[in-house]
Amino acid sequence: MVDTDQATQAKAKRAAGLRYGLSRYRQLLALLVAVLLLWTVLSFSSPYFMTVQNLTNIALQSSVVGIMAVGFTILLIGGEIDLAIGSTQALAGTMAALLIIDRGLPIWGGVLIVLAMGLVVGNVNGYFSLFTKVPSFIVTLAMLGVLQGLAFVMTSGQTIGGFPEAFKVLGHGRVGVIPLPVIIFFSVTVLVQLVLSHTRYGVELYATGGNREAAGLVGISVRRVLLLAFIASSMLCTLAGLVLSARLNAGHGSFGSESLLDAVAAVIIGGTSLNGGAGNTFGTLLGIILISTIKNGLILLGVDPFWQQVAVGALILAAVLVDKTIKGELAPGDLLPRLVRR
Amino acid sequence: MTASVSQGASGANGSGGPDRDAGPVIMAREVHKSFGQVRALIDATFQVDEGETVAIVGDNGAGKSTLVKILTGAIQPDSGSLELDGMEVSFRTTRDSLQLGVTAVYQNLALADNMTVAENVFLGRVPTRWLRVDRRRMERESAELLDSLAINVPDVRATTASLSGGQRQAVAIARAFRSGRRLMILDEPTAALGVQEGQKVLDIIEGLKGQRVSIIVVSHNLDHVFRVADRIVVMRGGRIVGSRRKEETTTADIVHLIVGTR
Repeated sequence: MVDTDQATQAKAKRAAGLRYGLSRYRQLLALLVAVLLLWTVLSFSSPYFMTVQNLTNIALQSSVVGIMAVGFTILLIGGEIDLAIGSTQALAGTMAALLIIDRGLPIWGGVLIVLAMGLVVGNVNGYFSLFTKVPSFIVTLAMLGVLQGLAFVMTSGQTIGGFPEAFKVLGHGRVGVIPLPVIIFFSVTVLVQLVLSHTRYGVELYATGGNREAAGLVGISVRRVLLLAFIASSMLCTLAGLVLSARLNAGHGSFGSESLLDAVAAVIIGGTSLNGGAGNTFGTLLGIILISTIKNGLILLGVDPFWQQVAVGALILAAVLVDKTIKGELAPGDLLPRLVRR
Repeated sequence: MTASVSQGASGANGSGGPDRDAGPVIMAREVHKSFGQVRALIDATFQVDEGETVAIVGDNGAGKSTLVKILTGAIQPDSGSLELDGMEVSFRTTRDSLQLGVTAVYQNLALADNMTVAENVFLGRVPTRWLRVDRRRMERESAELLDSLAINVPDVRATTASLSGGQRQAVAIARAFRSGRRLMILDEPTAALGVQEGQKVLDIIEGLKGQRVSIIVVSHNLDHVFRVADRIVVMRGGRIVGSRRKEETTTADIVHLIVGTR
């Protein structure tokens, strides 16, 4: 009898575990289904879509913006924002070109200085957002201008090209058939999610994003947690800048500066809460794959490339509305204008 | 912080009541606090004995919140002293008081609703094993803790957002109990709850008394105060105007003290 009770309890516990597991990954599964559906439709619409070359292209196009988006995910989970991700990336690529090509620094020396720049930018963003209480939206908007401007000033607006072969490996290398940028993006995605899910820092970041006051009251050093998030975001943008400049074999102040929209879209579509406290990098990975697939699909279907931006913008809005509806913050009827509803 | 104290709250008398022979767990002497021209706390001398439950009552603006905030280190007094287990202490932040076993459950509960019950119970003191968060331990120990306090939640893996008001209050109390066994401060623990849920929270507080925890309850509800408190401290206009043992007073007496007709 006791055995039967214990067995029933264990069964109920397993069922509850499965239920909570499923509820946790519901959004991720929905996104995966959306990507697979889109792939199915496109594979019927275009004979070129489901080719190794095309799928590799999608992965490659996703990787640089994806690395930045992972950094943005960390920060948004903590309830902060970094609008300077695109210009941090642009400055990193420009500095790499200036130092390695123009000034002839060894690759390791140039890369180290660029990474140090990322560290400084993260600290500056974090310092002004956390210690002066100016919202990070404003601080990083200002930094967007500062960093972008610096990138142009450094090279007088010129493109500097011609990296050494060893540096170009970062953008053109392959492991088997998989391009190195894709491997870097996937590694960053997995590594960051491991930190978020399984370390004390991750728990503290989710808690800070969910309820900053509560996190402070239980002794979590909110400023330390968020400063690290700002630094991680800037460092990943710097890495993305290095990969992009290696891929393009050049550096210029405008390279990648338009990627802010795609990175933000990927994070939001990936299910990271705009209010902080929820999200994961695998959602972001699927989000950027969805965006790259739509862009790729539009090209294959012969649609004017200018429609790509319209599609990404509309996707952000749709993702936010769907997310709010799922969370019960918005009833589908609320979308109709009041006049129509009387 | 100028003192450290040992953990543990076992009293000498072995029952659920206060142990006055063991001396006060916390003692505030002639504490004064002003905010600009407003004198929020005037020469307040106050103590809580080992295993004792003290209710602080008073009208809005009586100084209850100021006193509680000083006891937790959320604000610092202008003058006066604080002693914990006979040692003078100075709490500069809530982290200082937390380290010495003084915790508070605030009206807004301070739960991270995006996180699970287990994560909330362990928030700020998450156990790790080889740098990895030990979720199994967290879930097992949370379940054991909630069981020991007779707190009923559907599953420790559920997010606190999915719980009722009473269950959320209970989780906040469990967290405070886990991290602060010298003194727990409960600020309006039943204010936002319905009748049934309020009763359940009072049951939990009575359970805590059985575990010999020293407790301060701030409440407007005199029925609840009379149910759980050993002693009732009345504040008015920033001053402590009376302290009565529950057996030696009545609701009318306390009301007179609160409104100043006695």
